[in-house]
Amino acid sequence: MRKRSQAPFEMLILLFLFWAVLLPLIRLLSLVGKVDVWMIVRNPQFINAAKNSMRVATVATIISVALAFGAAWSVARTGIRFKGILMVLMSVPMLVPSISHGMGLVILFGSNGVLTNLLGLNGSIYGFWGIVAGSVLYSFPVAFLMLLDVLKYEDSSPYEAATVLGIPKLRQLVSISYPYLRKPLISIVFVTFTMIITDYGVPLMIGGRYTTLPVLMYQEVIGLLDFGKGSVIGAFLLIPAFASFSIDLLTKDWGNVAFGHRSFELKKSRIRDTISLLWCGVIVLLVCSVVGSFVLITFVRRYPVDMSFTLRNIGRTFQMGGGRYLLNSIRISFLVSTIGVVVAFVAAYLTMRMPSTLSGVLHLISLSALAIPGIVLGLSYVVTFKGTVIYGKLGILVLANLVHFFSSPYLMMYNALGKINQNLEAVGATLGVSRIRIILDVILPQSRATLLEMGSYLFVNSMMTISAVSFLSTTATKPISLMINQFEAQMMLESAAFASLLILTTNVIIKLSVYAFKRHMSKKGVL
Amino acid sequence: MDLLAPKPQPKLMVRDLSKELGNKAVLDSLDFDVHEGEFVSILGPSGCGKTTILRILIGLTEPTKGVIYKDGRDITRTRPSQRGMGIVFQNYALFENMTVLQNVEYALRFHDRFRSGSRTIAESLLAKVGLLEHAAKRPRQLSGGQQQRVAIARTLALKPDIILFDEPMSALDVATRLALRTEIKSLQREFGTTMIYVTHDQEEAFSMSDRIMVMEEARISQFDTPIGIMSNPANDYVKDFVLRNLEAKIASLSKYLSEAAVAAQ
Repeated sequence: MRKRSQAPFEMLILLFLFWAVLLPLIRLLSLVGKVDVWMIVRNPQFINAAKNSMRVATVATIISVALAFGAAWSVARTGIRFKGILMVLMSVPMLVPSISHGMGLVILFGSNGVLTNLLGLNGSIYGFWGIVAGSVLYSFPVAFLMLLDVLKYEDSSPYEAATVLGIPKLRQLVSISYPYLRKPLISIVFVTFTMIITDYGVPLMIGGRYTTLPVLMYQEVIGLLDFGKGSVIGAFLLIPAFASFSIDLLTKDWGNVAFGHRSFELKKSRIRDTISLLWCGVIVLLVCSVVGSFVLITFVRRYPVDMSFTLRNIGRTFQMGGGRYLLNSIRISFLVSTIGVVVAFVAAYLTMRMPSTLSGVLHLISLSALAIPGIVLGLSYVVTFKGTVIYGKLGILVLANLVHFFSSPYLMMYNALGKINQNLEAVGATLGVSRIRIILDVILPQSRATLLEMGSYLFVNSMMTISAVSFLSTTATKPISLMINQFEAQMMLESAAFASLLILTTNVIIKLSVYAFKRHMSKKGVL
Repeated sequence: MDLLAPKPQPKLMVRDLSKELGNKAVLDSLDFDVHEGEFVSILGPSGCGKTTILRILIGLTEPTKGVIYKDGRDITRTRPSQRGMGIVFQNYALFENMTVLQNVEYALRFHDRFRSGSRTIAESLLAKVGLLEHAAKRPRQLSGGQQQRVAIARTLALKPDIILFDEPMSALDVATRLALRTEIKSLQREFGTTMIYVTHDQEEAFSMSDRIMVMEEARISQFDTPIGIMSNPANDYVKDFVLRNLEAKIASLSKYLSEAAVAAQ
């Protein structure tokens, strides 16, 4: 049921997305056209960085996805205990910036690192393997959660049927598991790969001489203000992102309606469960040691020279303006989460509950924001909005984060709205209740859980992001996530560690609050 | 009946109703009347346009061509809420975040003439469908049949003179269906509402209706009383789709009935 009054809303959102997503991209790509691309690409520095990026991303992706698969399998299919805690701990790396992972590894394994000294290790963490390790830490939670989603919701009926028919377990893996997992696995591999190859935080911190494309881009733009060269590198970084996006789009299993769905019965098996627990345990240990390293460096006077407990590092950080940067981050995250939830809801409502010819376009653009790497988006905003009103203010950071993180909340709401009875607006129309009232009185209350998840996602990611905001912040608007690199460069490792802790703590508080709120609401029978 | 009295105007008059989607004709030039207080079934297989007729009658969809008259007034372009009609959906479409009572009461608060007594009206309607004791529960705590009765109560709240039913029993088991059938018919008798009932179940149509509109592929094959259809099927389609299926059901049943009768002797 469509009315003429709907078109203006869709046009508004489309215009906004065009202005915020497509226009900057076009401006960026046009910049590529103005520059001698061939010369830049032929430069050995560029070729070297490109090769390094490919190598690191490939190795790190394989390791990360393999680890994540084992962990996801353990949670979804085995009878191990402590699943709740394990899941939470394995997701913790998502709550800190990528650059913090690099820093944690340096603290632990650097030339004067905690574990280097403790275990008497030699060899350097800097370079290829350091970047791989940091990238694995950074990308693991995302791959883990995606794989968990796939494994948790697989239908066990074909396996049961196969077992009854006497088909051996190994054969079941080949005939049932593989076809089911192949498409989502490809998608997850590409998403992880893109995430790693477009990150500049880890290689910047721990790469040493080993340069990758994002680092090169960062150096060109921030250090040399060479937007032209930066845009060429940015265009290259768009390739894996768009490839990943297209593959995901094409392999989507539209309309896979399961007739009846059986979840897996989790049986206990001594050997398998022990291995699974060990697998997850090792991962948790790694995660915790990185976080532990932040705690250590923050509260210890000066490792390893002076091991006395102190709060002086904290004091010094706040003296250097740490409080102001933290407040910036919180302000930005708050604005992104509140505005983002509203915009994502409106967009999802329009495409899911009021479909029209424009809806397809709106849907596609909303999803495609995911395909643009953060630093590329950031650079495109520099090129497009320099000299305008919002440039140099908090507003542009809010906008950049909103666009960068838009697709997930949009999709969350889109799917949630698809599950709510499709006849509700029609019922309202026949009863003389306006659409707005139906949205306020019926649809929104039923979407509370999703709205909370969306807000939480946007807040947490805005707190820890360093990508889209890297080129857009000024000294006045700098978020604390960008200060980590700055503190470290100024030999204030303790402040950098504390900054990471501040981000982690804020995000943990948010996640706990949402969790507590949801429990409270479900107890009242409302959620 | 006074043969000299002028024939009352049909409650609903539909003329030349057509609906096209793309190049496909979903409805092809339908002409029919429905009289006040009648129970009319629209019977046909899936995809023949039955639901589309309902959606056009209540105004959720616009026809490509044609006019609808209610009580002599042209309502083809009137808003759904101004047509004095209600609709009951197959999947109930209740408001899951409200209680059963709130579901029935909700719409009343938006209409001036019902606003003040809304709670009382809602409670009495729930009592009518036998669900007053469940008033504080959420829809998901009720069975399918109960949820459908809440949906019917919600529709009755605004006192429509025509109620449309879109395959309301398809999601329910047989025992519930039979019980609900009786209830709908008794509500009709009590409120004198005209009812138009879409179904694909021949037996249901035959047992509930004053007249049945048999549909095939966007057209009406026959619009007659159950006896009229049985004694004079209009064409082979009616014979095949309606009568043959009914006979098959009854034949298998009567075989057991007669065997049981023999065994009982």
